[in-house]
Amino acid sequence: MPLPRLGTNGGSVAGDGGVMSAHALLVEPFQSLAFMRSALVACLALALANGAVGTLLVLRRMSLDGEVLGHAVMPGAAVGFLYAGPSPTWLSLGGLASGLAVAALAGAITQERARRDVGLVVFYLLALSLGIVLIAWRGSNVDVMRVLFGTVLAIDHRALLQIASMSSVIVLAIAVLYRPLAVGAFDPAFLRAVSARAPYGAVFSALVVLALVAGFQAFGTLLAVGPLLLPAAAARCWNLGVAPSMALATGFGFIASFAGLLVSYHGNLPTGPAILLAAGLLFGLSLIVAGVLRRLAPIIGRNT
Amino acid sequence: MEADNHVLLHDVTVRYGRQIALEALSGEFAAGSLTAVVGANGAGKSTLLAAIAGVVRPSTGMVACPARRRLAYLAQLAAIDQGYPLTLSELIMLGGWREFGAFRSPGAGLGARMATAAETVGLAGRLSHPINEFSVGELQRALFARVILQDAAVILLDEPFAAVDAQTATVLIDQVMRWHQERRTVIAVLHDLDLVRTRFPSALVLACRCLAWGPTAAALPAMAA
Repeated sequence: MPLPRLGTNGGSVAGDGGVMSAHALLVEPFQSLAFMRSALVACLALALANGAVGTLLVLRRMSLDGEVLGHAVMPGAAVGFLYAGPSPTWLSLGGLASGLAVAALAGAITQERARRDVGLVVFYLLALSLGIVLIAWRGSNVDVMRVLFGTVLAIDHRALLQIASMSSVIVLAIAVLYRPLAVGAFDPAFLRAVSARAPYGAVFSALVVLALVAGFQAFGTLLAVGPLLLPAAAARCWNLGVAPSMALATGFGFIASFAGLLVSYHGNLPTGPAILLAAGLLFGLSLIVAGVLRRLAPIIGRNT
Repeated sequence: MEADNHVLLHDVTVRYGRQIALEALSGEFAAGSLTAVVGANGAGKSTLLAAIAGVVRPSTGMVACPARRRLAYLAQLAAIDQGYPLTLSELIMLGGWREFGAFRSPGAGLGARMATAAETVGLAGRLSHPINEFSVGELQRALFARVILQDAAVILLDEPFAAVDAQTATVLIDQVMRWHQERRTVIAVLHDLDLVRTRFPSALVLACRCLAWGPTAAALPAMAA
């Protein structure tokens, strides 16, 4: 079963013996192909939401929770698929419902700290298996692959609007709740003591689920957590403040989306994984460069 | 400070799942009192503070704290993220949370009070530094500055002098005594019994339930038993 990929221009990078122009390399694919433009806009909208949510997720040390919630979307999306076929709206609604349900369950087992990680991994495996079984029951292998890996190159107008509105809601919510969310990641006991137990943690989990549902049409349930975590993890290497980290993560998300789409276009490679690999490359570079700079700082002399 | 700064416990029990952390505790921390809470690990000391702060809910019983809106709770240092990207001034400024809340901007006077608080704990001149380059002692000084800014009637401190250097401990203990002179109600979880004996007028000895509660000289012998 091949992953969705571009069959068009593969291998023609060198053109007629000469080096391809920058225009043909970087701009032309988006100029001539509508689905490349849709994919790019969808990825940029997702990067805006993911930069903010991912940064808070990394700061709260909740990466594993993000991974689990990513798969928790699967059974609900499968039920949506059984009900209405591959309609983006029903897939999203179903995914949102089961994601929120699992987020609530995960919140409940937080109280019993001892077996928390085991519980989360059990959720993750069962949700994934249940989703695949449900979809394969009525659908084809192609449908299963679509839900697992997404269809970033087949995003229509309606799906694009859906992604853009979910991203807007997320960005607005984080703009409004920025202070309590940032403080809750730093000193949760302090926040609970001063805020009379307002349920900021639950609100944040809901935002994570929303970000994953927005991302899952493009990247699938297996990979949706990638664009959420990788740019944010890369940005965290630079040890900036919370808001600058969010901005940098968004920037990394932009770069990875752009680079990943182009690489997949010119190299005839699956698109979602190409974007994730580009983000992974940024993470590796950040880790190395920021680490080297930190080593060098005492030698060069710090100027604060 | 007003007279209703007391904390009243009535038959307070806290369970985590099936495990009982604190059992049937009743009594009163009088307004303006300075009490050390002592006991072995797992004796329910931190749980008691969390219950008074309203961070955990008692399974049964009742905590009455009329000054809950003017309460400062400093959890154990291990509970906060010491690598978090925050500057010292931002950290201390959080002490004004009840004035500006989740959404409003800090008022004009708060900045000056924040700088004074930093000076009091010996951290003047480091306001723009990120806290992730601070030592444990410096971080605890910063958190005390945040409590100063909170201007609380009831102050809860969970192992405030654990793992800090001797010089920092002296500064922080002096601050606790100042709070006591200002008639604030202070409840501190402590391990150093010599310190309790010399500086804390009252003590509560816990072992999931109350072993002794009263003047330090009378209560502390229960610790050895």
